[in-house]
Amino acid sequence: MSPFNLFQRISQAPTKPKSAPVARQFDVADLYQGPIALGAEGETQARPFDEKLRQAYFWIVNHAIISPHYDIEYNDGPSQTYSVGDSRRTLNLPSAQSYSSFILLPLLTFATRRKCLFVGGPGRGKTASALLMGVLAGSTVKEVKRAMQHGHPQMTVADLLGNPLPADLVNAQSMDDIRIAWRAWLGMRVKIVDEYNRIPTRTQSALLTVMGDNYAEVLNHIYECPEAAWYLTANDDQGGGTYQVIEALRDRVDVTVQALAFNPRFLNELLLRVEENVRPEELVPPDIIFTESEVDQIGEAIRQVGIPDAVRRRLEFFASQFELFETAGGQFEYMTKDTARLAGADRGQAQAADNGRDRLKDLGCQTLNGISVRTLMALMIYAKAMAYFRGNGEVELEDLRQVLPFVLHNKLQPDPDAPFFALPENAAYRSDRLGWLRRLFDLSNDEFNRLDLDRDDPVGVLSAEFDLGLDGVSERETLARLNRIEKLIGERTKGRKLYGPLYDDLLKLKYLHQRYTNYRSWLRSQ
Amino acid sequence: MISPAFASILASGRAQFNARAAEARRRFPALDMAAFGAFLHDGVDPLVVAVAAAAPERVGGATLAAYDMALELVGHGLAGPAAKNPFLNTVWRELAPQFAPLLATAPVDVLGMLSNAAIHIASVAGARPAQWQAGMAAVAPQVGSVAQLRAVGQVLAWRAGVAHFRLGALAAADTLPPALALAAFGEPGAQWPQVHAQLMANPWRGNADGREFGSFTGLGGDFGTPPQVRATADGFVVRSAERHYLLVADACGAVLHSATAQEYEQANTGMPPSVRLDGATVHVGARSIALDLPAGDIALAANAHTLAITSPWTHAIRLLPLA
Repeated sequence: MSPFNLFQRISQAPTKPKSAPVARQFDVADLYQGPIALGAEGETQARPFDEKLRQAYFWIVNHAIISPHYDIEYNDGPSQTYSVGDSRRTLNLPSAQSYSSFILLPLLTFATRRKCLFVGGPGRGKTASALLMGVLAGSTVKEVKRAMQHGHPQMTVADLLGNPLPADLVNAQSMDDIRIAWRAWLGMRVKIVDEYNRIPTRTQSALLTVMGDNYAEVLNHIYECPEAAWYLTANDDQGGGTYQVIEALRDRVDVTVQALAFNPRFLNELLLRVEENVRPEELVPPDIIFTESEVDQIGEAIRQVGIPDAVRRRLEFFASQFELFETAGGQFEYMTKDTARLAGADRGQAQAADNGRDRLKDLGCQTLNGISVRTLMALMIYAKAMAYFRGNGEVELEDLRQVLPFVLHNKLQPDPDAPFFALPENAAYRSDRLGWLRRLFDLSNDEFNRLDLDRDDPVGVLSAEFDLGLDGVSERETLARLNRIEKLIGERTKGRKLYGPLYDDLLKLKYLHQRYTNYRSWLRSQ
Repeated sequence: MISPAFASILASGRAQFNARAAEARRRFPALDMAAFGAFLHDGVDPLVVAVAAAAPERVGGATLAAYDMALELVGHGLAGPAAKNPFLNTVWRELAPQFAPLLATAPVDVLGMLSNAAIHIASVAGARPAQWQAGMAAVAPQVGSVAQLRAVGQVLAWRAGVAHFRLGALAAADTLPPALALAAFGEPGAQWPQVHAQLMANPWRGNADGREFGSFTGLGGDFGTPPQVRATADGFVVRSAERHYLLVADACGAVLHSATAQEYEQANTGMPPSVRLDGATVHVGARSIALDLPAGDIALAANAHTLAITSPWTHAIRLLPLA
């Protein structure tokens, strides 16, 4: 079977059956479970890995990195809110377990072996947090520190990847005779690149190969790296480093986390560390160290977490908003921001020609680009990881909402000239990118609700009908479906402005129409 | 002032005890040394005195175990003058010394079990910690091993209101000598096999009137709105103010656990033929019980042993034995 068939097949997975009522097992031994560890009879069974992950999170957040910023908020019922200051910003007291992104996102990166970028000023714990992740993977603090790559303006490819052995260079008759002394960090399961925006552009390209393709190449010799979680740090990710970060390298980063300021109310914790001469990274409990096999199993379990159709549809709707740029293309398929970017067209001029749409309502007007496939995949992986971390078997909309800003932080570029940012109440979103992205998702969901797409989605119905397969579909039925598609296109385009979701719907309908047309031709040839 | 026995042990191992305290302070940055000192005086000293009287040769080991455990408990904020629930202090001060012979031989197990159990029972809403303590004290002279202590503690926890321990506690009681099991049930003159069979068959044995459970959250109760109830094999799934609970109840007590909307949807809404509602009177077999509730909106739910009665006019659930 061609490997491509894997993606062409209609899913064979059954729809999730309604689970049977859970038979509860109340265990009288729970009486003796508590803070005091007892002997063999009192011990609990091995913890599931999601629990171990949560244990690691809480250990870090309570004992290692002092980050009392619970910016990933979950609510279970109404929460208490306060309006604070002249700007009347909302202080929310979440009613369910909430998390600090600065700890949680790196931990989810560790569990999924993705790539995380820490941004923030010096001394805010970026490197310390990355170092802790290395320790969680079973390396000693010394090993992690020695393997950490420190970006600097003179960093060469050899500094990064390894040197040919000098004796071989003199005596070798061919490239194969030259042995390479590979750098030890290439074999680490947690790779840390400190201040990656200080690395020269050429060395960034070598780093890109390792990050993107998971191998290093020096003088035709290849080093295959093991699957690893990556942590990069940058004091300034907006171009303030020594070198501009190449776009492809920036695109390889899956999630960006901002290190927030230290709250001096927690100075006593620092004082204790000073007095006791304690470094948290040296005290990581063995119980929260993960073996390679455990991380493999966690990764597998995370991939198995389901994303319900309703949640996926909201993501589809959100992602649909941003690529359309009506004046960029003469042909329907090319009316995208990428077309304009590739042509180096004057954006202001193109925008001036694009009139008639509600530029405040159109979320696509707020960004300079659309969302890439890599970004969408990262979004789904992190949403699954978040659900797994919370002990759930399915992603909830809130999981997606919480991880979305961190995944899109570096990917969705805001258009500072957009009318949205000119409104006084939105001025803060010019600098608060995470807040803006979350607001963007909320606005998209509001629009989704207004259109009642949960219940009334004719394109979704046609798509589901097609997904059932064409086996046995008669010509008459094919023609009926073609008519339905044409009728729907007619209805959807009648007197309407073109917005992103409509554009994607029309492209999908065109695709369905084409598939049915081909099928009808085949039927007639039989 | 602490006892001379304890003072002498502390003095002889001063460096070691200080090092342990310093290490605990690293693990528990919030450890309040003044609170720890107070707990040594109020909680640990009586133990040391009791063990010194029962087995003087083992007092050192028991003291060290108690000292370490005290550091951990105070470090967690569970013991000492600032403890959120003072029951653990009471157990150390009053109950643990009564198990001095066992403490001397297995101090970590005994103190650990008593401590964990005290924390657990104190955390179960509706449980009666004082009853558990009194029951444990009453059987203490008969408890000869850690295993017996474990089983007796479980039986008495159930009897003190931890209703969901019923089956486990009955299984634990079977491991005890019959006399000790009967003592734990407060029926020293009975025959254990018969008592066991009756307890297995009827969760409401010894309580023919049933019980009332729940009240308005605004007055410190459990339910934000009048609850709606459906039956399951384990108990009843309760819905109140968009929240769901599992209510497990029997003759000894009633405990709420969390549940899901799905469990509520899947719970049983049927009613056994022996139960009939006539206005504000419910008939269970030959029994008729007049309810002090407005007729018309009364709802019933029943499992194999229990009938639950609710009404939009009350936040309480009436639980009646069906037998």
